[in-house]
Amino acid sequence: MTRLVRAELLKVWTTRLLLWLGLLILALEVLVIALHVAQDSLGSLAEPRNQRDIVSIAAISALISLILGIVSSAGEFAHGTIGHTFLVAPVRERVAAAKLIAAALAGALLALAACAFAWGFGALLLASRSVPVHLASWSALRIVPGTVLAAAITGALGIGLGSILRRQTAAIVIALIWLLVGEPLLGIGNVQRYGPGHAVASVVEAGAQSSDLLAFWAGLAVALVYAAAFAATGAALVKGSDVT
Amino acid sequence: MPNALPLEARGLTKRFGSTTAVDDLTFAIEPGRITGFLGPNGAGKTTTLRMLLGLVHPTAGEALVDGEPYRKLAEPARTVGAVLEASSYHPTRSGRNHLRVLATAAGIPQTRVDAVLEQVELSAAARRRVGTYSLGMRQRLSVAAALLGEPRQLVLDEPANGLDPEGIRWLRDFLRSFAAGGGTVFISSHVLAEIAQLADEVVIIHKAKLVAHEPLGALTARTAGGTIVRSPDANRLLEQLAAAGIEATAADNELRAAAPPERVGEVAAAAGIVLHELRGESASLEEVFLELTGGEG
Repeated sequence: MTRLVRAELLKVWTTRLLLWLGLLILALEVLVIALHVAQDSLGSLAEPRNQRDIVSIAAISALISLILGIVSSAGEFAHGTIGHTFLVAPVRERVAAAKLIAAALAGALLALAACAFAWGFGALLLASRSVPVHLASWSALRIVPGTVLAAAITGALGIGLGSILRRQTAAIVIALIWLLVGEPLLGIGNVQRYGPGHAVASVVEAGAQSSDLLAFWAGLAVALVYAAAFAATGAALVKGSDVT
Repeated sequence: MPNALPLEARGLTKRFGSTTAVDDLTFAIEPGRITGFLGPNGAGKTTTLRMLLGLVHPTAGEALVDGEPYRKLAEPARTVGAVLEASSYHPTRSGRNHLRVLATAAGIPQTRVDAVLEQVELSAAARRRVGTYSLGMRQRLSVAAALLGEPRQLVLDEPANGLDPEGIRWLRDFLRSFAAGGGTVFISSHVLAEIAQLADEVVIIHKAKLVAHEPLGALTARTAGGTIVRSPDANRLLEQLAAAGIEATAADNELRAAAPPERVGEVAAAAGIVLHELRGESASLEEVFLELTGGEG
């Protein structure tokens, strides 16, 4: 099993997928943090709550991790490399499990790098405006484990979704439509907090949630149920399919 | 199962919806030989091979490698090396990294990666993205991947497709030396000539069904047809051939004689007849199928 996980990690590394998605996160962080620090008033920047909100852009890594998961599963079908994969590892459930673990690890790694950069870059810019930096407080730092955990879950979710649809672009577009349209529509019935996007958001907040989110543990449980359901459905579909 | 046959199909059947791609196929491949797997395009060769390799699920019957279904093999990459038809690769991954991924997954030491790249003469391009490879280079990469685990058997699906003549010669030499070293080779093709120069025996399928499994010699005997001959003195040659008991018919500017070229040449020489052309006429694979299937193909 270890060797299959290592092979999956080598796959995302050797296509430079991890590198490009990492760069995308850094660029978004630079944009958001620089705009805030440059434009917000000194009074508002000095607020610990606002500083926390500025660096919480690092949570975008959970969305990017979802894309990573989708591309590393659906991409194998898109590029036709799944045949090579199954020749070496014909027990498809094991491949599915290895992909889940690898995507969770890679997602967590992306999130960790995203947080490290957001905190460092944020502190640097805040200091340059002579604002006292409050980023080392627990209320700010709790986003770090929350984001890392959330990105690990979304990586696994992406694997499941990618194996169900087996088309990269379709899977990414459907995920975005769901997050931007589908889940907000759940708001009509006031059940959006049970949607996968909101469940993952409550994991990111790690206890500091607003009232429209589930509590941390409840959110974590719901997110894990989604990840497990998607993964099991995807693995079953792939297992029964012919690689032609 | 040490005594099991390398590859075996037992009543192997695959239906895709209402189409029967492979119909009740039973054959066994002998170890240490090169077996050709012949059939026209669409006969069911690829589906059969993919069932042997665990990629396609049989509707009925069994596909066995060393006596077991592929997915039960403890170390598949060390048991059988496969070259899939028109293998696809991730275009931005280098050839070497593609092999590193497979070696990692199969628990094969990374030193094998450079060794097989050397063996297929691809070392110089190993670090380039596969997207920049020619078709021939991709085929060599496929062969390299098949060799990673030093398997005793190779399964190749139309490996000559898209290869240049030099590549085909390289592949033929390589497979001969692999078999000479005791390896088993099962190679599919829709071109009779490719297999005729290589195989010890042939499995022939047509329209999803097995039509023959025989030594190559038996197949060549079927395909050894008559002789086409052109002569300015065609009428006299026709008489001489008839006198020698050889059936011949005139068609266009040439004669078609039901005897090997050596015989026809001897008859012409004995009668002092000038020849402008003398060539053996071998039956095409399609004609062999027609003969084997009693003309219903």
